[in-house]
Amino acid sequence: MLRRIGESVRRRAGEILYGLGFFYSLLKESVLFFRRRQVGYRVLVMQILFTGYEALRISAVLAMAIGVAINLIGASLLAEFGQGKLMYTLLIIVITRELGPLLTAFIVTARSGTAIATELGGMVVNHEIEAYVAVGVNPLSYLGAPRLIGVVVSMLVLSIYFNLFGLLGSFAIMQVLKPVALAEYLRNLVAVLTVRDLMSGLLKSLIFGLIIASVSIHRGFAVERASTEIPVAGIRAVGASFILIILADAAVTAAQYLG
Amino acid sequence: MGETVPVIELRGVSATRGGFCILEDVSFALGEGETSVFMGGAGSGKSSLLKTAAGIVIPDSGAVLFRGKDVARMTRAEERAFHRSYGFVFQDAALWANQSLYDNLALPYRLHEPLAGEAEVERAVFRAAETVGFRESLSARPAELSTGESRLIGLARALVLDPELLFLDEPAAYLDEESADRVYSIIDQLKARRRTIAIVTGSSELAYRFADALGVLSGGRLLAFGPYAEASLWQDPALRGVAGRLKTRKKTAEGGAALLEAWAAALADSLDAPPEEPTAEGDDGAAGRGGRSDEEKA
Repeated sequence: MLRRIGESVRRRAGEILYGLGFFYSLLKESVLFFRRRQVGYRVLVMQILFTGYEALRISAVLAMAIGVAINLIGASLLAEFGQGKLMYTLLIIVITRELGPLLTAFIVTARSGTAIATELGGMVVNHEIEAYVAVGVNPLSYLGAPRLIGVVVSMLVLSIYFNLFGLLGSFAIMQVLKPVALAEYLRNLVAVLTVRDLMSGLLKSLIFGLIIASVSIHRGFAVERASTEIPVAGIRAVGASFILIILADAAVTAAQYLG
Repeated sequence: MGETVPVIELRGVSATRGGFCILEDVSFALGEGETSVFMGGAGSGKSSLLKTAAGIVIPDSGAVLFRGKDVARMTRAEERAFHRSYGFVFQDAALWANQSLYDNLALPYRLHEPLAGEAEVERAVFRAAETVGFRESLSARPAELSTGESRLIGLARALVLDPELLFLDEPAAYLDEESADRVYSIIDQLKARRRTIAIVTGSSELAYRFADALGVLSGGRLLAFGPYAEASLWQDPALRGVAGRLKTRKKTAEGGAALLEAWAAALADSLDAPPEEPTAEGDDGAAGRGGRSDEEKA
């Protein structure tokens, strides 16, 4: 019994250490990406197109719906306490700091995290990765780094996009409930918006992007030989990404409020 | 005179994958310009052996040496030169599915010849495709090819840089007779140009045709490795199956050659002999020379 627990702990510790080593190598390859000869620019462009551009529509719809919901809840709840003017603070905190990066991360995980893990897993099963190694291409540099950069860039752009559409949705519902001029709406938002809020949102987006990309790439490369492992890799990539994203979100938020 | 350094050498190599031992204490050396064939049943570790020798699978213990240099301790430049020096044909082609056939062939060339212009890349790509007899459009994707065509493109990719060393994993599997003959003739040409070749196969045909050295694998262990000429004399019970198949192959080939020789001699004799006079029954010359009459042909 004790031996089994010990072995399990040792295996888990080994996996975590391997994962950290993998993350370090991937990060190093990504930093050196534009200096390498075997650069996968095409992979990078395709990744940004898929993760960033193609997710714009769903991101916009979700952001507008969230903006509407926050405004509806805030308008009724804050008015009860006579704190109607806190609406703009609420919008900035919820959309820019919290939900913007978090929901964007969920969208990117669901779309691109699974796609990356299953695509790479398929390449492993079809021996395409081995074929890259045989010709002298480093798979981490050629396949991993552009995906990581593409996901991080897309996360940052989508997060900003989410903010814009979230605030637009809020403005739209205001025109129905309590009409206000666009200039005044923007002025009120800017009045409560701080650089810290913006930086917080972007920092979270950056961290979430790194988590989604590295977890998905790791899971994809971890497929060994059977095609049945491919969907499992996708599921595990999503599960692990969600958990790590929520933990990271809590850690960053705690650091901001407690630090 | 000093000993020549083998092109590839494995020293006590063991490897595991997914908790299973795929290679156990394997040692051998591939000499310059030699063709070594490794035989064994399914799951005997043939493909793993080839991948380990090519630096694709990292062994748990032991060393893989390329021209005397440990592959695990190579600098980036040495590693690049190592990968530049060989072509690898995978059993299932392993073409990059998200790239066109042209890009599949061009990538190794672009990578290792960075100063080459696009015209030079194109020449190399079309030369390789022509060598394997692939005449379809190279703008297609691998998914559009049959298994045999994929194998040919896989071979073309291995040849695009005209490497000094070739690893061929079941090179004639899934091919029709014409394509298989083409592959055999390519191997013949490579042998004639003193390329070092390592082939793994389950068929004694390739061993009989090309092997200078023969290895036999079972359960990840290299049971024997030595000159092909001595293989049919192997007495070890574990090797009798292979030795027996090679003897049969030799006898069949010798029998076929003798038959061909007799037929050629008979044909030469009949051509030298004066034409026979037509008989009263109206036999023609062809029937007289042993050919079949028009009625028989019909």
